[in-house]
Amino acid sequence: MPTLLVVPTGIGCATGGYAGDALPAARLLAAASGCLITHPNVMNGAALYWSDPRIHYVEGSSLDRFAAAELDLRPVRRQRIGVLLDAGIEADLRWRHLQVVDGCRASLGLEIGPVVSTAAPLAVQLSLGASGVSWGELGRPDLLLQAGRALQAAGATAIAVVARFPDDPDSPALAAYRQGSGVDALAGAEAVISHLLSAELGLPCAHAPALSPLPLDPALDPRAAGEELGYTFLACVLVGLSRAPDLRPRCGVPAAGTDLAIEQVGAIVAPAGALGGAAVLACAERGIPVIAVHNPCLLQVDAAALELEVLPAGSYAEAAGLVLALREGLSPRALQRPLGSLVQLGPLQAPQA
Amino acid sequence: MLLKPLLLMLERTPGPLRPQVLAALAAHGKPLRWAITAVEPSATGGTLLQIEAVVWG
Repeated sequence: MPTLLVVPTGIGCATGGYAGDALPAARLLAAASGCLITHPNVMNGAALYWSDPRIHYVEGSSLDRFAAAELDLRPVRRQRIGVLLDAGIEADLRWRHLQVVDGCRASLGLEIGPVVSTAAPLAVQLSLGASGVSWGELGRPDLLLQAGRALQAAGATAIAVVARFPDDPDSPALAAYRQGSGVDALAGAEAVISHLLSAELGLPCAHAPALSPLPLDPALDPRAAGEELGYTFLACVLVGLSRAPDLRPRCGVPAAGTDLAIEQVGAIVAPAGALGGAAVLACAERGIPVIAVHNPCLLQVDAAALELEVLPAGSYAEAAGLVLALREGLSPRALQRPLGSLVQLGPLQAPQA
Repeated sequence: MLLKPLLLMLERTPGPLRPQVLAALAAHGKPLRWAITAVEPSATGGTLLQIEAVVWG
């Protein structure tokens, strides 16, 4: 039963707000559903990753368009990943990224190349929104698209982007994040970069930030540890993209054969306080069950606030149980006590003969 | 091409939410990333949606 898992980026989720720390939940939901569609923020743990043929790695804005029936997903054996490097990356850091690419080619057998650099630095800027959610901007989106189009013309079927992000090793926000109590300040700008490329080129895309290594922090929260194991965050992106499904714009009728269409999706799983995103709302409009998981975050946009009907879950383990119940055709309400009363309609009037 | 951050307050009307948000954003550009980030009562007794977004065009 195809199932969507959404953990919005940059909203400080207790599970999934750090370095791929929703991956165990994703693996469990993949086992429960047999087919999980989720986005890079869930799967990317910098130097850590997990490849599971039941998990489909779909960039966030493409996942939104899938939920809105604007595109279908076509599983593939492999993608040819073009690598797009920001010209703002220093020479040493650029070499580190190129060596990750070579490592993934040599040790994992991934099809990667060509590599291109933007014509000038992309000028990434970080910001927080009114709610405290991570957002970000890009000074030269035109150069990002120019480089992306060059990769596409050269035969790339997916694109990994590495942009130079501003270093701010002494910021209180970074310290809070590393100690497990803050928002991922990079996430919003990362989302903007991958959304723009994927929306314009129609290719699977994902982003890894280029940053200078941080000094050792013995108080590092385990959820942030994946980002401190190496010089780059690129390995997980290359692995995720290597089998990301093709994006197939919807031409009237839903997908057939092995393609995945929103009409096949049996549930969407999302944090209970972050139900105001495009994918959840599109699924709710279609009557797809929304499993709202207790996963504290900055937002309080819950089912009551939006007047949505949801299946509440106290944890991702409980959510996996609900997915399994739906997959087996069990009513989730039959698993709850007390069991609600049977609804009876009022007396019907006999139609006039 | 420019990317533009936006903060909108939208009075909710009956019916599905997503088309209401998309219509409000379309007046400012092509939505790249958006979310309803807060919900509060409006002065008229209805519901006010806070929307944060990045649009482009």
